[in-house]
Amino acid sequence: MTDMEILAHAIVLGSSALGAGAAMIAGIGPGIGEGYCGGKAVEAIGRQPEASGAVTRTMIIGDAIAETTGIYALVVALLLLYANPILGSLQSALGM
Amino acid sequence: MPTAMLMASEAAAEATQNAFTVSGPLIVASWEMFGMTWNLTESVIVQWIVMLIILVICLVLGTGLKVIPTTRRQALAEWLVTFVNDMVDGSMGEKYKSYKPYIGILIVYVILCNLISLVGLRAPTADVSVTATLAIITFFMTQYNRAKTGKLKGYLKAFIDPLPFMLPSNIIGEISNPVSMALRLFGNMVAGMVIGGLIYFALGNFAVLIPAVASLYFDIFSGVIQAYIFTMLTMSYISNAECE
Repeated sequence: MTDMEILAHAIVLGSSALGAGAAMIAGIGPGIGEGYCGGKAVEAIGRQPEASGAVTRTMIIGDAIAETTGIYALVVALLLLYANPILGSLQSALGM
Repeated sequence: MPTAMLMASEAAAEATQNAFTVSGPLIVASWEMFGMTWNLTESVIVQWIVMLIILVICLVLGTGLKVIPTTRRQALAEWLVTFVNDMVDGSMGEKYKSYKPYIGILIVYVILCNLISLVGLRAPTADVSVTATLAIITFFMTQYNRAKTGKLKGYLKAFIDPLPFMLPSNIIGEISNPVSMALRLFGNMVAGMVIGGLIYFALGNFAVLIPAVASLYFDIFSGVIQAYIFTMLTMSYISNAECE
């Protein structure tokens, strides 16, 4: 490996780590969403305690839907960390 | 400068060997057939173990049943069947009786696949091909139910509902359902696996008590909840696909 190739690899690896961290900022969204979901469910159960089973069931489904974007971000971060496609394209561009 | 860089890269390579890594499922065997490479992975082997466990559970719970239950295992079996019955009736309605066996085996199978990581095996649901398979089955059941209830006209009309220009977004919405289902289960399981591994790696030789508490949430709670969510979403997608 020449110096330039090492430098190119270092830049790609460092940027991928930064990108993985930045992707997980998306965790804010599901956090807020699930917080609202849980809060409203508590309010609903407070008003109608007899409907707690149905409310909890609906809340869990709502949580799961709200969580989707966070899971997408996690998948992107995991791809960047463990199955980096950018590193592969760099290596094929360098002919390695 | 060049030597410094080379030394840095050697140090980095050494650090990578000691560092925490996540690997996919191991490939146990692979062979060539029909011009493709077929891999027998760890996930498949663990799924066979799960199927054996389910078979044993069925044999233990399902034999020697009486009209008036006298044994504890029959009470457990009846509780399980009633749970699935109520779940399907509650969220799909009475006319989806024929889906009960599939929904029942789906929840038991996914729960066992998630919980088998407790005995040290790699959870099959932490492999995207397993979760994608389950999500694709749901996708085809959804399409089947729409085609069955609406026939060809209703099936095609569902894509231009409510207005014709909604066609692209309806198609994207239809495809994104299985993608999000597969990635949700996979993401939760793999996140639990990664965080568990990181905790063990960070604690080193002092890994007592703390991994157990983390495992309580990431393996048991998350595993059961995600299996429940996967089943509930399967049921609601199938019953929402119904045409009037």
